[in-house]
Amino acid sequence: MLEVRNIAFTYRSRPVLRDVSFVVSPGETVSLVGDNGAGKTTLLKVLSTLMVPDSGQVLLDGQDAFAQPIRYRRQLGYMPDVPALYDDMTVKGYLTYRANLKGEIDKRIRRRVGEAMEMCQVADIATRGIRALSAGQRKRVALADATLLRPRVLLLDDFLAGLDRTMREAAGSIISTVAAFSSVIVTGHEIADMARWTTRFLVLRDGVISAALPAASVDADALVKRVDVALKGGAS
Amino acid sequence: MSPVRVTWRRTVGRLKSLYSTALAACGSFSASAAIFAFALESAEGSRLPLAAIWASSVSPVLPVLASFLAMDTWSEERRAGRADMLLSAPVRERGLVFGKFLGVWTIIVALTAVFHLATMAFLAGFAPRLLSGVSYMGFVPGFMGLALQGAMWSAIAVALSAAIRNPAAAVTTSAFILVALPRSVWAALMAWAPQGRSAFGEMPLDAQASDLACGLVSSATVMTYVIVAATALFVASKLVASYRFAGRGAVGIRASTAFSVVLALAVAVSTAALAYRLDTTLDIPVESDEPGFSARTSGVLSEIRGELGVTAFVSRRDPSFRETAHFLRSLARSSEAQGGARITVSFVDPRWDLGLAERLVRSGVKEGSIVFRRGHRFESVSVAGGCDERACVSAIMRVAMPPQRRSVYWTTGHGETSFETYGAFGMSDIARDVARDGYRNERLDLASVQQVPPDCALVVVAGPKDDFSRVETGRLEAYLRQGGRMLVLVATDDSRGVLTLLSAWGLRTRSAAFPGARTLSGTDVVVSDFSSHAISEPLQGSQIVLEKPVAFTPSAAASQGGGADRIEFTELASACGSCVAAVAERGVGTGDDLQIRPTRIVAVGDSGFVMNGQLASRASANRDFFHNCIAYLAGTDAVTGAGDEPGRVVSGMDRSARARFLIYFAIAFPLGLFIVLAAFVAIGRRRG
Repeated sequence: MLEVRNIAFTYRSRPVLRDVSFVVSPGETVSLVGDNGAGKTTLLKVLSTLMVPDSGQVLLDGQDAFAQPIRYRRQLGYMPDVPALYDDMTVKGYLTYRANLKGEIDKRIRRRVGEAMEMCQVADIATRGIRALSAGQRKRVALADATLLRPRVLLLDDFLAGLDRTMREAAGSIISTVAAFSSVIVTGHEIADMARWTTRFLVLRDGVISAALPAASVDADALVKRVDVALKGGAS
Repeated sequence: MSPVRVTWRRTVGRLKSLYSTALAACGSFSASAAIFAFALESAEGSRLPLAAIWASSVSPVLPVLASFLAMDTWSEERRAGRADMLLSAPVRERGLVFGKFLGVWTIIVALTAVFHLATMAFLAGFAPRLLSGVSYMGFVPGFMGLALQGAMWSAIAVALSAAIRNPAAAVTTSAFILVALPRSVWAALMAWAPQGRSAFGEMPLDAQASDLACGLVSSATVMTYVIVAATALFVASKLVASYRFAGRGAVGIRASTAFSVVLALAVAVSTAALAYRLDTTLDIPVESDEPGFSARTSGVLSEIRGELGVTAFVSRRDPSFRETAHFLRSLARSSEAQGGARITVSFVDPRWDLGLAERLVRSGVKEGSIVFRRGHRFESVSVAGGCDERACVSAIMRVAMPPQRRSVYWTTGHGETSFETYGAFGMSDIARDVARDGYRNERLDLASVQQVPPDCALVVVAGPKDDFSRVETGRLEAYLRQGGRMLVLVATDDSRGVLTLLSAWGLRTRSAAFPGARTLSGTDVVVSDFSSHAISEPLQGSQIVLEKPVAFTPSAAASQGGGADRIEFTELASACGSCVAAVAERGVGTGDDLQIRPTRIVAVGDSGFVMNGQLASRASANRDFFHNCIAYLAGTDAVTGAGDEPGRVVSGMDRSARARFLIYFAIAFPLGLFIVLAAFVAIGRRRG
């Protein structure tokens, strides 16, 4: 279970996050939404230990992420909003490199890479150079990278941006598959797409979680409306 | 697979796929090749090892290469956003930094190896004489030294790349800090105080590369490289770790990081200072099996036994220090290899070893000298203008061989060329060489002495223009009959008096024409045909220049009689079939048991071939020929080789060959290499 406690982050004297707290259980997919500059990416960077918060804790099964960052990152999958890959490598070569870097043992790497490519639908472009990939294909490769070692915490920043309609529809099944072994946090603005597979919306506004909207009780359209209202600052 | 190994492989793979790497490699090749070509020209005739010239040519380029290669390690990763991907992996920052450092270093070492091979190939094509006797293993210490320097530059460049986000700014800053700033400060220092070169020596990094190439491994130098590299990597790790500390809450962490960096720098400076205080220099033998010295030096070294102390009273920062040190160490090794004396080399720096320096000065030794010492006997030789092998060996002979109070007597009173005249027509220059060999130069007026003095090593008759009287001839005859030795330089215009004497000893002169002979001025003759006699054999391949030479033929006295009275006539040198220098010897092969000292007369058909003007104006083996005559006549059979002195840098390239070497090596080759490397990169990208 991922527990976020009272996270605050200030960048150049501007408070970006203020007292953010929430819990994500295993198998849960949380969609973090908010306007541009609300602090979604910053929060994901804090959760991925790329930024050290001013205060607060990130606990995974009760263990502080910043106290034991290497151990925490072994169980973490992170996909940034703009995937930056090595253009000179092939898809398979890149994923193999990432698996190696993440410390996967040699004899498992091939299988892990194969599974991730199948799941993220990049097996057909495995031998293609990354330089030749479209933005959507790059996003899928980055997703395969994030899910490579079956992480217990998966953080996907602006996951659906740049994906075509088919891939957006397929994203649900990918997320469902990943959620079987992970606590997933996804950020983005595609609320309607997210509503199909998310278990909960967290609305980030002015650096705080202004609303938490479970998806189980209402249908997707109603959920989208409630999220829109929450984003505009209304009561949810 | 460890993260360091993974990152190393990725960095190498990444660098191989970049056009910027190909460009940096070829630019570095071009710069190194140009520096090497000019360094080779300025080292012509010196005793610097080829490996040292090569290493000090590559050394200045390494920081530029490291800057270009390291640009991609962190600056480019941050600009492209890949740093987040790396830092989200379960790897410590130091593992990533070390892996990237290893990647840059690997490429630098590989490029240095390629450049070494290219250098060897070009030298084999343009200056094969430089490679004769050069051991490839001799380049290993130089290569290791460059690898160490490369490690240091790689680490610093990676740290600068971690500090600066913009790749172009990272390269510019690195190149400025690592190359432009130190070298411009050094150049300014030298310009401001030209005498500083002797006070401060060469640019330290180039000098260290040269030292390492010579096998002089200073513990302080190596320690400093390692300390600087380790500190730079530590700082780089801290800088990369600080990417996470963007928020205000991390102010405390940033402060503690800055403090640890400052502390690391302070520890590094202190440790490096301590390393220099406790500096120990290892002397790794890197020479090839070749002795690297002339036949005369080798002969003298093999004859000496026991201990011989040699002290270089030269500042370590003196430009001649390295050449001197290299020369003396080679001398010691050569002596040991030939079973000669055990030569102990020590160095006294006038600025550091004050007590020892004061003792030397009180003994009359000047700074910038080599002191050869055995027991209470010592001789000093100046190293101003480089090590003079001949002077050093003469000093060794004077110090180590039994004291000889022997003299070379120069006849006077018949218009002979004077050994005391300093003008172009005097022989003071060659007489000084004779004095260096341990002989006293004395005038011999045969009319006023009863006999040739008993301490006479040989008599020199240097171009007499007037007749010798019967009395004088009789005294010379008496001297020769007792196993005397005589060198006769026959005047070209007339040489009456001594002719009758020569004829009685098997030598007859005749005027000769030399149609078709090679000439420099039209009146002289270039002689390059040498016989296999002990005097002339070492001169094979070189040439002497004689002015209107007189020819020699055997007289009736030659080859007459038997046993100890038989006179043998031997040609030494000839031109167009005419003998222009010959030796007549009586008593050859009689055996030591008969206790008969053979009489030896050497005649050269030019009285002025070792005049000061002749020696100064023409590059020839005249001086060596004269020395060989002296050595042979005085009984020392160790003779001077001529032509290329072993151990000296002689490229054999003339002006146009040098220009071609520069164009092919520094321009055409790097350009071709760039095309090849760029083609590989393009093919790799297309396949991708």
